[in-house]
Amino acid sequence: MNSNHLSAWEQEEYVLDQRTPQMLRHLTECDECRAAVAQLEHGLGVYRKAAVEWSAESLATRPQQFITAKRQPILSLRWAVAAMIPIVLLLIALLPFRVSSPRPAQPAAQISDDALLDQVDEQLSVAVPSSMESLTHLVSTGSGAAAKGSKHLVQSN
Amino acid sequence: MEALEQLNYTGELSPLRDRMIAELEDVNTLCVTYRSRIYRYALLSLKDPDLAETVTQDCFLKAFKARNEFRGDCSIATWLTRIATNLIRDCTRSRKFQFWKTASSTALEAGDIADRLRSPGISPEASLVVREKLVKVWDAVDALPDKQRSVFVLRFVEEMELPEIAIAMGLHVGTIKSHLHRGLAAVRKAMEKKR
Repeated sequence: MNSNHLSAWEQEEYVLDQRTPQMLRHLTECDECRAAVAQLEHGLGVYRKAAVEWSAESLATRPQQFITAKRQPILSLRWAVAAMIPIVLLLIALLPFRVSSPRPAQPAAQISDDALLDQVDEQLSVAVPSSMESLTHLVSTGSGAAAKGSKHLVQSN
Repeated sequence: MEALEQLNYTGELSPLRDRMIAELEDVNTLCVTYRSRIYRYALLSLKDPDLAETVTQDCFLKAFKARNEFRGDCSIATWLTRIATNLIRDCTRSRKFQFWKTASSTALEAGDIADRLRSPGISPEASLVVREKLVKVWDAVDALPDKQRSVFVLRFVEEMELPEIAIAMGLHVGTIKSHLHRGLAAVRKAMEKKR
């Protein structure tokens, strides 16, 4: 058995894959150092196994949420915007036609109807029934004449 | 920094980098490939499944947003680990996290984890020995300072190389080695302790 054992630091270096030929040679000869290194490596292996299992178990209970799940609404919104663009462009293109287009010519029949209605309105506003024609004269002569007229009407009654 | 200096980035668009950026574009595949790894790292660092899930989600979101900034001077796994490290650091610095950390007990958790450990094909006595050993190692790792624990997890759980850990943690390889030696010393001391 070799009395010049590997130090703790050297054993750690071995575990960290920083191995020298001297270390390797010593480990082939020394059971004690080999056991110490194996003990340390076993402890680390158990830790790794437990950590991986715990994490996998924990992750299995969680639904996978991809970033795409967040991006989907944005993508659909993009499609909606893309679909809206030609419609908006079409509306913009049609707008000047709608604004600048002259009013369609009114039909001759509608013009004659309008003229007739205007004439009727004029007649109605001017014309007075024959029974009330005398009253129009009274009113139109002024307030003094109207008073006389009213007196004459009372007397005649 | 040694590792960072070794990986000298020239700024040229290499085919490898293009391939990596293409991989980053496909966020679905990226999640499938690296989710369990990032989640495990976050879980072992934070000991909180909900926080670990949040960190994992944020990590992929950040990676996707910053995909054009990826220089290709390390693997995608290392780059994602670096993002996760920063997120975990932000998390552990928050007051809320500090409060819950002091309020919760880790001693029970180690026993819980040991109970769950499946050891098929070994005798009950051997299983008990494994369980005891695990509790000791688990507690020793838990007691490490945050940075040391992260380095320890990246090396002995994720099995990353020292230069990769240096990039992921933003530290020198020498510092990483020093953290690992301290972690291993603590583990060895715990394993030598008699119950």
